[in-house]
Amino acid sequence: MSVLEGAIIYSNLLVLLAIGLTMTYITTGVPNFAQGSFAVFGSYLALTLLRFYGIHPYLSIPIALIFGGVLGLVVYIGVLKPLISRGAQIVILMIATLAVDLILLGIMGAYSDYLGMVTKKSATRFIFTPYDFPVGFLSGIFVVSVLVIALILFGLYLLLYKTKFGVAMRASMENPDLAEIMGVNVETTRTVSWILSAGLAATAGVLLPFRQEIVPMTGGIIIVSIFASSIVGGLGSIFGALLGGYIVGMSESFVTFNLSEVFGPSVLVYSRVISLVVLVIMLILAPRGIVSIKWRRIKWLASFSS
Amino acid sequence: MAGEFLILNIVIWIGLYLIVGLSLNIEYGFGGIPNFGRAFAVLMGAIAIGGIVNRILMVIFGVSGQIIDASGVVKTTMNDLIAQNPLIGIALLIFGLLIAAILGAVTGALFILPSAKLSEDYLAITLLAISEVVFMVSYYHPDLIGGYYGVTVPDVLRFIPGEQRLFVFALIIVGIALLVYYVVNRMLTSPYGRLLKAMRENDAVVRAYGKDIMNLRIRTVAVGSAIAALAGALYSMFSVNVIATNFSRVEWTFYPFLMILLGGLGNTRGVFVGVSAFVVARIFLITYKFEIVQALGLPFDPVWLEYILFGIVMLVILVYRPEGLLKEKPVMTSPIKKVLEKRKVKAKEVAAK
Repeated sequence: MSVLEGAIIYSNLLVLLAIGLTMTYITTGVPNFAQGSFAVFGSYLALTLLRFYGIHPYLSIPIALIFGGVLGLVVYIGVLKPLISRGAQIVILMIATLAVDLILLGIMGAYSDYLGMVTKKSATRFIFTPYDFPVGFLSGIFVVSVLVIALILFGLYLLLYKTKFGVAMRASMENPDLAEIMGVNVETTRTVSWILSAGLAATAGVLLPFRQEIVPMTGGIIIVSIFASSIVGGLGSIFGALLGGYIVGMSESFVTFNLSEVFGPSVLVYSRVISLVVLVIMLILAPRGIVSIKWRRIKWLASFSS
Repeated sequence: MAGEFLILNIVIWIGLYLIVGLSLNIEYGFGGIPNFGRAFAVLMGAIAIGGIVNRILMVIFGVSGQIIDASGVVKTTMNDLIAQNPLIGIALLIFGLLIAAILGAVTGALFILPSAKLSEDYLAITLLAISEVVFMVSYYHPDLIGGYYGVTVPDVLRFIPGEQRLFVFALIIVGIALLVYYVVNRMLTSPYGRLLKAMRENDAVVRAYGKDIMNLRIRTVAVGSAIAALAGALYSMFSVNVIATNFSRVEWTFYPFLMILLGGLGNTRGVFVGVSAFVVARIFLITYKFEIVQALGLPFDPVWLEYILFGIVMLVILVYRPEGLLKEKPVMTSPIKKVLEKRKVKAKEVAAK
């Protein structure tokens, strides 16, 4: 697998996760710290289907989409909705998602022990790479991840721009109070955004073991990259999340690869440091994200210096 | 003996978590700064002991080489010295705590810089991200505090024989925790504490009164991180080794948040109540984990049960008792007391008529 191919695969998955995170942030105003664990949920779902029923991980993508959606629904209805209706502050909601993350970590860890015991094969760390197959001169995961992202982006486009529901959803994303006055049910849009977000995360989780080893703690590790992608994109824009995912994914892959040529392969484990650096640079230069930069103004200013 | 050990264990953990809880209460309970990177400051305390103090000792004794091996050499030399002269041990303890506090304050102030101006959600994300990345680097990088292997640390109480060491260490930790409690209480009842509360409630008003929010946040996080680093340093010196995995997000960020939310935000007594309740529950859970696993017939490691349980406890607190066990009370300054007394007198007069 070439570096570019690996970088694109990784970025595709990051985009899926970042779009989900951004969607729930726009509708409920809370950064979801459990997004990484939603992905690990998808990974374990795929592992279960593979071990028990012999279903190839690629075929479990639609199942993950559905089960992930159910998980998102449960988290929203069970945890966030009661808190929001009690008028909880954003920090309290964030702590609640941290608690959800911890509960999911506990469940995932317990389940991995159980699965390992039943199937007599370790489930605390696993990887799907042996199940991958080449398609022409490309790797299977590359083709599948590109297909998935294209399909999902197209689906999101249809949902948000071509249906009445999408119009209502975009309206309540942009201005929830005004949308509510106009008769949009903000509650529905919130619920749907959580279902979609967790569904996308679980889908990314099915594909993630083709790229890296999964342990129950993986969610807590990738969350840094997910947040970096969303913040680079401005946290409030789905298109921004798309850009941010590619920027963070590419810089993580290429910068660590180039550094490893100089300092040796031990640098490869520090790819999250790159995410953090990108995040910090972004916060200093343009805290409202890449979509908030006024390129025309920069051009205008630059015209004076020449 | 087992019971005694259990009680000492509980006392030590109440002391350690009280220090961390108090530090978080300054930042989040009073200042409204959601520091989701608390574990980072505690880890800095551990790095101060395992990374910095160890290296200073390496230079003093002229030991060279990798920190993992060299720390063992330093430890044996230092332990012999401390066994002969208790003063060296005590000096090392105080010196270590000092370095930890300084390192905590400096790194805390430094790492809040990129997000100090931003809203609380950005703040929380950035602090969490920094904490996770630093945790990961200190786990993977062997030159910092020994990576996977960790480093050993001289035993500052080497001059005390085996069984009493635990008891004396518990006394030291409780002593420092009480000192921190006293200082923090004084600090938060001063005008500074009320300024923090004002910032939590409405930072625009504070700005309108001519206070610099960014400066205030940086100072507050520096103070909080310095205090939290003390806990990391004490824990490292108590367990005589430093390894990054002991300073995870769950144990030093999530649990402290759970404790102060349980006890009640914005009051120091609440922190103590929350910490005590949590530590007693957790130590019992850890001590009897094998019995619990057998009794329930669980097919997995009990640590996962602990995570699920405390996660659910947190959600229950947030939904059903967000104000915690003890409610926040206004600080009784002398002008407020005067006003209240006047009111009482008036009320009596009215009642007399």
